Amino acid sequence: MLLYIAKRLGRALISLCLIIVVVFVLLRQMPVEGYFASFDKMTPIQVENGLRKLGLLDPLPVQLLNFFKQLAQGSLGVSARYRQNYPIARIIAQKAPFSLRFGLIAVGISIPLGLGLGVLMARRKGGAWDRIGTVYIVFMQAVPSAIYYLFLQLYGTQALNISLLYNPDKWQTMILPVISLSMPSVAYFAMWMRRYTVDEANKEYIKLARVKGVPTMAVWFRHVFRNAVVPIVQLIPNSLLLTLAGSIYVESLYSIPGMGGLMVDVIKRQDNTMVQALVIIFAMLTIVGLLLGDLAMALVDPRISLARKAEAR
Amino acid sequence: MTFNEELVAESAALRNEPAASRTGESRDTVLSIRDLHVRFRLRGQSLHAIRGVSLDVARHETLAIVGESGAGKSVLMKNLCGLLDPNGWIDGGSIMYEGMDLASFRSERDWARVRGKHIAMVTQDPMTSLNPLKTVGWQIEEALRYNQQLRGAAARRRMLELLADVGIPDTQRRASQYPHEFSGGMRQRVVIAIALACNPKLLICDEPTTALDVTIQAQILRLIHDIKVKYGLTLIYITHDLGVVANVADRIAVMYAGDIVELGACEEVFFDPRHPYTWALLSSLPQLGVKKQELYAIQGTPPNLFQPIRGDAFAPRNPWALAVDFAHRPPYGRVSPTHKARTWLLDPRAPAVEPPPAVRSIRTLFERGAFTENPQGGNG
Amino acid sequence: MSRFSLGERRVERAGDDAALAFRNAVHEAAKTASANADSVDDRACPEGVSSYLYSDAPDDLTTEQIAALPISAFESAPGDAREAERTGYSHYSYWGSTFRMFLANRGAVVALSIVIIIVLFTFIQPYLPRQADPNLIHNNPETGLQIINRAPDAEFWFGTNSIGQDLWARIWSGTRTSLYIGLTVAVIQAAIGILMGVLWGYVRRLDFLFTEIYNILNNIPTTIVLILASYILRPSVRTIILAMSFTSWIVLARFIRNLTMIIRDQDFNVASRCLGTGLWRIIMRNLLPQMVSVIMLRVALSIPYAIDMEVFLTYIGLGVPIETPSLGNLINAGRILMMSPSLRYQLIFPAIVLSLLTICFYLTGNAFADAADPKNHR
Repeated sequence: MLLYIAKRLGRALISLCLIIVVVFVLLRQMPVEGYFASFDKMTPIQVENGLRKLGLLDPLPVQLLNFFKQLAQGSLGVSARYRQNYPIARIIAQKAPFSLRFGLIAVGISIPLGLGLGVLMARRKGGAWDRIGTVYIVFMQAVPSAIYYLFLQLYGTQALNISLLYNPDKWQTMILPVISLSMPSVAYFAMWMRRYTVDEANKEYIKLARVKGVPTMAVWFRHVFRNAVVPIVQLIPNSLLLTLAGSIYVESLYSIPGMGGLMVDVIKRQDNTMVQALVIIFAMLTIVGLLLGDLAMALVDPRISLARKAEAR
Repeated sequence: MTFNEELVAESAALRNEPAASRTGESRDTVLSIRDLHVRFRLRGQSLHAIRGVSLDVARHETLAIVGESGAGKSVLMKNLCGLLDPNGWIDGGSIMYEGMDLASFRSERDWARVRGKHIAMVTQDPMTSLNPLKTVGWQIEEALRYNQQLRGAAARRRMLELLADVGIPDTQRRASQYPHEFSGGMRQRVVIAIALACNPKLLICDEPTTALDVTIQAQILRLIHDIKVKYGLTLIYITHDLGVVANVADRIAVMYAGDIVELGACEEVFFDPRHPYTWALLSSLPQLGVKKQELYAIQGTPPNLFQPIRGDAFAPRNPWALAVDFAHRPPYGRVSPTHKARTWLLDPRAPAVEPPPAVRSIRTLFERGAFTENPQGGNG
Repeated sequence: MSRFSLGERRVERAGDDAALAFRNAVHEAAKTASANADSVDDRACPEGVSSYLYSDAPDDLTTEQIAALPISAFESAPGDAREAERTGYSHYSYWGSTFRMFLANRGAVVALSIVIIIVLFTFIQPYLPRQADPNLIHNNPETGLQIINRAPDAEFWFGTNSIGQDLWARIWSGTRTSLYIGLTVAVIQAAIGILMGVLWGYVRRLDFLFTEIYNILNNIPTTIVLILASYILRPSVRTIILAMSFTSWIVLARFIRNLTMIIRDQDFNVASRCLGTGLWRIIMRNLLPQMVSVIMLRVALSIPYAIDMEVFLTYIGLGVPIETPSLGNLINAGRILMMSPSLRYQLIFPAIVLSLLTICFYLTGNAFADAADPKNHR
């Protein structure tokens, strides 16, 4: 078990370092105007001085080393264009709570709804619930999320008679962003829950449980659902991945001052240091999420022990 | 005394019951199947899996059902616990058990009255028959809870007894382990313990040793026989291996293409088989092989059950087939009060046909102990 | 009955007519015999024939019918095992079954038809008469002003946009761009994914290396890679294709690898290898056909995914330049105007085309994957 955790941890760390190096090196290839707020008015000498001050004229390995040192101290550098010379870490500290609140509420809603829907679908294959659920899942999977986000915002705000944008003082304005974020996650959980439930229900040990006289409902709850939920545990942090693109859309659509909206802003303003910091943070979050998923899985499934977990599942 | 000698002695003792108890109808019948038909819908076609099977099972007997894979052995038994796949249905006939017609059961509530308490099952593959996420002890206690109303400490005590009964050492520790920590043979012991926890009257063993390796097979076979005696069970034993049942079965039913082609007491089927299919099965027993001579293999494949079968299903593969075999399904011919076979060869008009020499030599071989020889020599 | 006679005809063609004729003759004889059960057949068996019968179950023939069977019926007629084998199982063709399964799914057939119609139409549309250039700005000939935000009418079927371009022409041009992106990504993804997956799964020595690489790459969110790549390269159709191809093959490669591993150790491949069949031949003949279902599914799904991602990248400002009509650009342009109800058609029309296209691709892909999976052939 410990060996497995250590291995898994090491792999996550390598992934993280790798992505930091790649992001850093790639972003150095960008035009230098992304480091200055008023590039157009600057003389070439001013630009060179500015770059030197930022340490951007050093050889790449030195820059990289400095960057890692800086990261180790918990600093992400300063913003160049978004808010000039303002520490990025502080900008993010202001934004993160909003993203976190919306993300957690959305996942909190979509897990029970998605699992419930998946179970209802699996209980009677081909039944009414299965059909409704399948239509819903196909819609969520096939239609680009931008489309239903836009129409939900358009008609939802009209129906609820609220303003188009998020207002922290009005709780009603939270409803639509939360629904938007939950919709694809519900489909995602329902799809996997249905698949795992059907898989488990067809297994041999379910037959044995039935033959030994366990009542139907008990077989479903204690054997089928219980076992179908185990692989779902691994998917829960994974669903953060799913809400990442979603949060970028939703936060900018509703002007929620979170990290997803920030991402769109800094890309539009070509703020290199901010893009770099945000990309690294998002990557880190997903890597940690996947790590937590695997570790949670190892906790609930007794079969995963002593690094015997199947590689690359 | 080796384990097998013991078995022979025991089964002989069982068979030495009063004659009345051995003649089909008059005995204390637990289960009575009459003209059962089962069909499946598959690829838009209807498959006639069980074609009019009738069978009586007597209390405390061991009935072996033997046949190739696909002969319908497992399908027949699944009807007894309501485990028929959703695309299959009973298309006529009855299964009487203690005044209930199992063939008419439709709901899970109906089946709840029978499963476990009355009829339990040991399934084929021990590797997949246990819930991988529950401890072995938990799974046995679950059976105890629903069938014997035992809970808590009482259930645990009984569970440990059962584990010991099926030959699992170090029960305290083993009970709290998960199935993946057990070997195949050990898992099959656990499955048997679960079946026993149900306290059933009738135990169905569906090829319980097929997935195990040979040395383990003998142990499990012996265990099943022991618990049968200890718990006074009626046993139905499904297998494709006649050799396996030679010593344990009281009666043998030979199935082919969804039908019982021969049914008789163990020694009758072994020493005086009448159906050519039984001959073929017996001839292909490795124990009958002569050194450096090719082992007998039945030619061809079983018939396609999607199409209606005319005459005797075995006729196309049967070197002793008669013209009438291709036109009419044979009736059961009486060989003895306990022995019948579905073949036209029993008709007085049929030419006299000798079974193949290998089959005729079985008695001699049996007396020499060809079937009781065991690589381990038993551990008894 | 018809199925039965079909089977017999097949036997006949195979050339066993002598045996068949004999068998039929016997059958006829037996049938008449049982039909005239009451009439006494002098050759039929004497009294006591029923004494051997063990009648505890209903049977095909009554005791009388059995007694009436002619003695000729009891002549020896050994079965032919080879023939039993031949008629034993129905013929099975993989592609035939796949095709039938797919056609049986009515929804999928409709979806496929719509896909075909839309794809064909996007390519034919520019050559049809009275089609405007998607980037042409229409001016009113009388006033000389741009015809902006004209609601749909006979001249502009889907209306005009905020600078007077024909929305109908722009939508089909945009669909063309999006389809081009989707298909190119699908092809590149399939090519790289299959090659890597098969190597990964089949060559044991590479397994460890590939698995480690996979585990590391898999930790990196694709959305991030996509954003980063689009941010660094200049926005263009090529950039989007490049960025998406870069990330999407990994998932397919893993699928293929798992399949290859399963198939690699199956008996027929072990047999093939023992016979000295070359690696390439094994891959082509034994592995690829089995993977068709997975590959088709991934490829079909990568088109809606590619369109989705194009819309996403355009939304965050990293999409194709505005001069190139694409569904992402159109949606984005429509979004800005969506608050005024009279202009909402500029969002609704592209949204409908886009949704129809992605849903139909998705349904077709899923249905084909189901149909191509031998486990579902029934």
